[in-house]
Amino acid sequence: MEVLLQVLIGGVLLGGLYALVAFGLSLIYGVVRILNFAHGTLLAVSGVLASLAYASWQLHPLLIAVLLAPLLFVCAYGYYQVLLRPLSKRNHFESTVGTVLVTVGTLMILSDLTAKAAGATQRNIPLRLEALEFGEIVISTTQLLILLGIALLTVVMHLILTCTWFGRAVRAVTQDPVGAQICGVQSTRMKALTFAFGSATVAVAAVLYVLSFPVDPYMGFGLTVKAFTIIVVGGVGNLPGALLAGIFLGVAEGLTGLYWKPEWAPALSVVLMLLILVAFPKGVGVKA
Amino acid sequence: MKHGMSRTAGWLTGGAGVLALAVLPFVGNAYITTIAFTVLIAYILGQSWDWVAGEMGYVNLGHYCFYGIGAYAFSIALVGQWPLVVAIGFAVLITALAALVISVPLFRLHGDYFAFGTLALLPLMEVLAYNLTPVTNGADGIVLPVEQVLKPAYLISLGVCVLTFIVTLRINAARFGYALKSIRNDEQVAETVGVRIAPVKRRVLMLSAGFGAVAGALQAWQMSYIDPATVFGLNVALVPVAMVLFAGSGLRWGPLVGVLVLATLQQWLLVSVKGFQATLYGLIVLLIGRFMPGGFLRARWVRRVPLLSALAREHHEYMGESDAQAALQVAKDGTAVALPLPRIQPESGKPLIELQNVCMQFGGNVAVNDVSLSIRQGEIVGLIGPNGSGKTTLFNCISRVYTPTGGRVMFAGQDLSQASRDEIARLGVGRTYQIPRPFGDLTVQENIAIPLMFNEAPLSPRDAMREARSFIEYAELSHRLRDRADSLSVQERKALEFARALACKPRLLLVDEVASGLTPVEVQRFVEHIRHVRDRYGITVIWVEHIFSALEKVVDRVIVLEQGSLIADGPLSQVVKDERVLSTYLGSAAQASTKTKAQKSPQRAEGVV
Amino acid sequence: MKTIKQIIAASTVALTSALSVLPAHATLGSCSEAIVLGTTISETGPFSTLADRWRKMTEVFAEEFNKGGGVLVKSCNKKLPIKFVIYDDQSVPATAVALFEKMATVDKVDFFVGPDWSSLGGPVPPVAEKHKIPMVMANVATPSVYDRGLKYIWGTPFPVVPNWSARYFEMIGKVSPKPQTIFFITHDNPVMKGITATWSKKAEEQGLKVLGNETFSPELKDFTALIAKVRAAKADIIYLSSYDNASVPLVQQMRQLKVRAMDVHHTMLTGALHRQVGKDIEGMTGELSWYPGVKGDYSDLVETVMKRADVSMFDYIWTLGRLTSYLTMIQAIEKAGVVDREKVKEALFKATVKSPAGDVTFDERGFPNTGAFTVQMNGGKVNVVWPPEVATGKLVWPSPTWK
Repeated sequence: MEVLLQVLIGGVLLGGLYALVAFGLSLIYGVVRILNFAHGTLLAVSGVLASLAYASWQLHPLLIAVLLAPLLFVCAYGYYQVLLRPLSKRNHFESTVGTVLVTVGTLMILSDLTAKAAGATQRNIPLRLEALEFGEIVISTTQLLILLGIALLTVVMHLILTCTWFGRAVRAVTQDPVGAQICGVQSTRMKALTFAFGSATVAVAAVLYVLSFPVDPYMGFGLTVKAFTIIVVGGVGNLPGALLAGIFLGVAEGLTGLYWKPEWAPALSVVLMLLILVAFPKGVGVKA
Repeated sequence: MKHGMSRTAGWLTGGAGVLALAVLPFVGNAYITTIAFTVLIAYILGQSWDWVAGEMGYVNLGHYCFYGIGAYAFSIALVGQWPLVVAIGFAVLITALAALVISVPLFRLHGDYFAFGTLALLPLMEVLAYNLTPVTNGADGIVLPVEQVLKPAYLISLGVCVLTFIVTLRINAARFGYALKSIRNDEQVAETVGVRIAPVKRRVLMLSAGFGAVAGALQAWQMSYIDPATVFGLNVALVPVAMVLFAGSGLRWGPLVGVLVLATLQQWLLVSVKGFQATLYGLIVLLIGRFMPGGFLRARWVRRVPLLSALAREHHEYMGESDAQAALQVAKDGTAVALPLPRIQPESGKPLIELQNVCMQFGGNVAVNDVSLSIRQGEIVGLIGPNGSGKTTLFNCISRVYTPTGGRVMFAGQDLSQASRDEIARLGVGRTYQIPRPFGDLTVQENIAIPLMFNEAPLSPRDAMREARSFIEYAELSHRLRDRADSLSVQERKALEFARALACKPRLLLVDEVASGLTPVEVQRFVEHIRHVRDRYGITVIWVEHIFSALEKVVDRVIVLEQGSLIADGPLSQVVKDERVLSTYLGSAAQASTKTKAQKSPQRAEGVV
Repeated sequence: MKTIKQIIAASTVALTSALSVLPAHATLGSCSEAIVLGTTISETGPFSTLADRWRKMTEVFAEEFNKGGGVLVKSCNKKLPIKFVIYDDQSVPATAVALFEKMATVDKVDFFVGPDWSSLGGPVPPVAEKHKIPMVMANVATPSVYDRGLKYIWGTPFPVVPNWSARYFEMIGKVSPKPQTIFFITHDNPVMKGITATWSKKAEEQGLKVLGNETFSPELKDFTALIAKVRAAKADIIYLSSYDNASVPLVQQMRQLKVRAMDVHHTMLTGALHRQVGKDIEGMTGELSWYPGVKGDYSDLVETVMKRADVSMFDYIWTLGRLTSYLTMIQAIEKAGVVDREKVKEALFKATVKSPAGDVTFDERGFPNTGAFTVQMNGGKVNVVWPPEVATGKLVWPSPTWK
């Protein structure tokens, strides 16, 4: 019984981490409708930077996140304006293809430059807090903090999106860019800001990620695929949905490992995603 | 003239190129041969991917799965001592079957979701390869017997490359290719002009899978070793895709040029540049994506370079007719153009189309509420009502864009509830859309030719193109024959829409607000056309329109809808005086004033429900 | 027509120039030129995490070795320097194959050393076989790759699976309190699974009861279920058969979930693991092919090279395999006495060569009998603890912090 409980808790905590990886992507894809293949690589590279900052200057991870986030914000804003925004003016086919090529090229460049600059070996932030124990059940404090962090982030984002003018503007742009412009929303600025903001959350996600798991410059694409899985299962642009989807996947993988075989767990998320897409071809909650 | 010369010259060059490649392993060193081999494999992968992506518009990011499944099936067979040809055939068969199975859930997805779904297949296949150890040997991989097979593998793959190219040409010259292209532009409209999209999608995926499998099998044979990471790895999965997109997806020479340029570039970077090869490679991909996203062959500067512009021609530029053919006059019928349409005789008694208590409900919103009507062959019926009254929805129910939630639609005595959209089109229902939906990246001629290729008596593309010219002349679009449909003005698009609907050789034509936005002269032309098609060819027309002056010139009767319910059905003169109709359009004050007028005058308003 | 002529002209020129590219190369048998060894290193791509400093190290090796004059070639009565031709195989098998073809036919190297990894060690050897160039692969450990009847290949993976934990099991046969039970956790990878298969059998032969064997996939992040099973078994020894990086979350979670044992043994205890799990690694035992401080043949050369290239054996544990492939080829040439491929091939057949970790003998397939030393992490330092003759530190039993 305790084993089951432990596995469930582990799954929930892991799920929080998955949701973290997918968070920025859900926001970006939901608003800006860009298939950003470099998302996972950005996370991996930020993670490498974070671990370097920790190893070289012994900076507190929170400080690293605070420094990294605005850096990524500015870079992503510029990246969007220079490379991605001009593509949206073209026809649908060219803008999709162009975005794919630009983001794939970006991921190659990021991986290579990071590997050259910092080495290709895996690294993390080896900071561990004492775990919490409840009888036989042990809960990893780091992962608990991550879960709390992501839940907080989700709540904050949700509030921003529903209660502030900015959030309403963002949602308006998602639904109808032209209509939103007529109402005074600068659609392109909004999209650029959202892209930048989504990328900035990657900085936070990366720091939290490397506190739990190692990263190397080449693992990004696998993370991107995982993130896509989550945003599809959770419903695109639906941030609380992404959190729930992440948790759902984490628990499902844990149970697979417990009752069946651990080596099948990674396949599970893909199979689940495909099944869900078959039932809801436009993502959960949207009728076909 | 120029066309024919280039064609022969093209074939000669192509033949010379193939010959040169075939000789390469015997005159060149093993290094050049190995490089050329990887280029050939990349071409097979890239071009087979492009049939699904460039031609049909479905971006399958998991195409490499077919490569991997083919490699594994081949290796398992070869280790089992099966002869080479049987092993390759086995690989193709297994992979095509896998494609068939996966197509069922996969084609429920569209656009970006399709891309996500297919991308996720790669890690799934990798896990399967790792875990199904009895079959795949798990992480150990499969070790094939070592035989020096570079030359035969090279020659076979050269043959397969030529085959791949020929298949590409054949697809684009055949109806199958046009089915793909119509799906690429607008699936729903493709169905309503008679294209059976589900079998087409399955077949192209299986075809693509088969060729991908051959690529995997041949490369596994040459390398004599495969393991899950090598064949399903994410780090190589997007390379063939990038190569095709780099030069131009959907072009005849796009995949070939893209593969040649990028593969050569990659090799050159590898041996000449120390460090930062991946960065340079990625930078080039990025720049092309940013500045020439249709592929560099579609960039404007290419048109000025003679060699490149020859390579940059779109498929439809090869399909055009020669000048001699274009000069042929279209058949005339008095002063009007003679359309190759049958003359339908009205059948007495039986209605052509009958709606029996049709309901269409979207969640809580009842768009069409218990509508019953019947229309005889040869009638022109106007369908009017305020915005949102359900007129277009009714059309959609008839042409099966929506499936009615209640009631029946009977067409020529046949219940349409069992029929699919393309069957309904072939039974004789043609329609235009309120906002024209042409097949944008195809020419005007191709747009009209497509229904002709897919109706009851299907024509080959050449014949269809020829026959399409009468419809185009009828629509007065001959001067735009070879222009892309998305370059037309609104009025031209409406004319195209109308002509395309006629090309479906319909018995019943559903015309949806074709006159809005047109000048009175243009409206008059449409009215003439509608009258003409009924008078000359016996086509029944249901016309949704707001412009009463147009309707009153030609309709036999009018049906009025309000909030989904039918409130009037009768001759126009009667219906406009109907109380309910007036209050719907003008509000109750007007109704009251009409009532007063009616009381003052001897005429009585009659409402017919 | 003009365009067509242009195409034909251009392609003829391109083809001829491609065929005629023949850069300068060494001629075999000459006594005046350097001996050229051709290799590829995974400098980019997924495997580069294991090998990204090896290019520099290889170049430094050539420099250091040539300081002594080079390879003694009896028939020339002098020493000839060595030179490396190095390409990046990008961790992609097809690329490696093409590059080895290039080195054989265009660069015309004398001999091959490397590559590493099974993915590359499968497809590349047939190239050596075809061109009859002796090849001493480095870290290719999958035995089936050697079973194909190829005559021109050898390999120096350090250690090989049958010898991997030989010294460890020797050690635990002699410690007290004596462990009775053992639990295996295996990373789903051919080398690791091979290790578990071999050593679980040997463990049983030695009288240890194998309580279980759990396999985990390379991408697994949450080990709760697996660790639950391990804790329930309560084995004396937990044997982690895994690559270092794949096991980072496992080790961390084992600590968090308070797993207990007399010893936690890791088949790949490395600096990378240490850096990532920090203090969690304390007390764990592992194996290392060699460590600076352990004296042996060529150990001074190897130590110098590694220091100059800033490669730590603890961080890049496959380094000895790589360097030994170079040393093997050098010794084979010296044994043959002449820079001749066939003679060197004969010299390599069932040869015994020297290495810093001891002698290495190849069987008729080219498969070596390399082994490893047992190490333990104590106070943040890695110590060789078995065999006691070469130990650099004392074994602490049972493992501190795990009991």
